[in-house]
Amino acid sequence: MLKIHKVSKALSNVRILDEVSLDVKKASIFGLAGPSGSGKSTLLRCIQKLETPDSGSIDYSCRVCFMFQDFQLFPHMTVLQNLVYAPTLKDKANAKEHIDKAKMMLKNLGIESKINDYPRTLSGGQKQRVALARSLMINPDVLLCDEPTSGLDVSTIMDVVSLLKSVNNIGVTIVIASHDLDFLTKISDRIVLLKNGKIAIDIIPSQTPNSVETLKGFY
Amino acid sequence: MSNTLPALLFVGSGVALTLELLIGGIAVGVLLGTSLAILRYMYKGICGNCIGRIVSVIRGTPLILQLSIVYFITPVLLDCKLSILATGIIAFGINSSAYVSEILRAGVESLPKGQFEAAKTLEITSCYMWKDIILPQVFVNIFPAFINEIVSLLKETALISVIGGMDIMRKSQIIAAEHYEYFTPLCLAGAYYYGLVILIEYIGQKIEKRKFYAKNS
Ligand SMILES: Nc1ncnc2c1ncn2[C@@H]1O[C@H](COP(=O)(O)OP(=O)(O)OP(=O)(O)O)[C@@H](O)[C@H]1O
Ligand SMILES: [Mg+2]
Repeated sequence: MLKIHKVSKALSNVRILDEVSLDVKKASIFGLAGPSGSGKSTLLRCIQKLETPDSGSIDYSCRVCFMFQDFQLFPHMTVLQNLVYAPTLKDKANAKEHIDKAKMMLKNLGIESKINDYPRTLSGGQKQRVALARSLMINPDVLLCDEPTSGLDVSTIMDVVSLLKSVNNIGVTIVIASHDLDFLTKISDRIVLLKNGKIAIDIIPSQTPNSVETLKGFY
Repeated sequence: MSNTLPALLFVGSGVALTLELLIGGIAVGVLLGTSLAILRYMYKGICGNCIGRIVSVIRGTPLILQLSIVYFITPVLLDCKLSILATGIIAFGINSSAYVSEILRAGVESLPKGQFEAAKTLEITSCYMWKDIILPQVFVNIFPAFINEIVSLLKETALISVIGGMDIMRKSQIIAAEHYEYFTPLCLAGAYYYGLVILIEYIGQKIEKRKFYAKNS
């Protein structure tokens, strides 16, 4: 589905990624762990082609959508407009369906009351859920989530988990970068931990007893 | 003093040309200036440098020179005589476009890069990205600077009098010359200009108050 082969990337002459190779299976949920600054966001940005790797290759032939760590909602649009703008641009005939879909998604994430609000009036966790919903609106085959749970409480994390699981069930491949090891372990089929630009450990949570403890050992 | 009222009316009739020049000039300035700013942002290479140089030349030469060039040279090049109004709108519009493009460029550069990236991520094409995502935010951010540009262009339209345009300035000079009395007509002209400036600033503030979102998300 998504093949990353020996990707290296330096930013301001500091090597952030050092020949990272990964193979993400179709319809799986792939977790990226690692200390702050280990290059998780950089790797996701390379996959989305927001950054060009210095060497190596990233191969896929499907629609990828990236959810930003700092959301990047459009401040001059309401929550609903943020969600439906891009899909409506592509497919004007189904404007009504996009609105219904957006409403449904906001409801599932518990923020339907914010539908006509502007991003600046939302809390961090609310913005995060809007950002997640917005990325899903364009029906990506691969969803790249950068810290989808930072700033969320236990119950909203459960909402995010069930939304991600439900889109995963209809075949969407998901790559998640996160610090939240409990969340990652609960949701991922496979977890890779990045450290100093390299893959430090690669585990399958369902087959690894004490996955969280094992991962913690690398921090 | 018996001449004051006729003078007031006569100078006031010049407001029409002044406003026509201002509105025409700003319209050309905004359209051209926005295009220049976008081109300059999108093509950072040779094309961007060329635009930067053109903008720099326009900003670095006197407006009266540019007005004279348009007035005396375009008829030779195009083989047709432009009206004073058309000459003014072209010259002021081109001049203003240089300033508008600089203001916009600063506004575009100051938007978070993530806004461009988010648009790209959502597969929004370049044209719609500028129209619906970038420019609406930039216009709000640069609005005060834009009002300043309108005010300075208003004052600069007085240069049209040197090629014979019957604007506020020119009409006040005519009255002054007729009566050999300069103080009243020139003060009247000043009052008209300043009144228009107050009006523009008032409208600007009204619009600015209606801004419905903060500058940052
Ligand atoms: N534009 C940039 N220029 C220079 N260095 C950068 C740039 N962006 C990121 N970096 C550096 O790259 C490294 C990796 O950043 P990255 O954002 O990928 O880490 P991360 O694993 O996502 O961290 P976090 O968990 O805190 O989000 C950091 O040390 C950061 O300082
Ligand atoms: Mg990050």
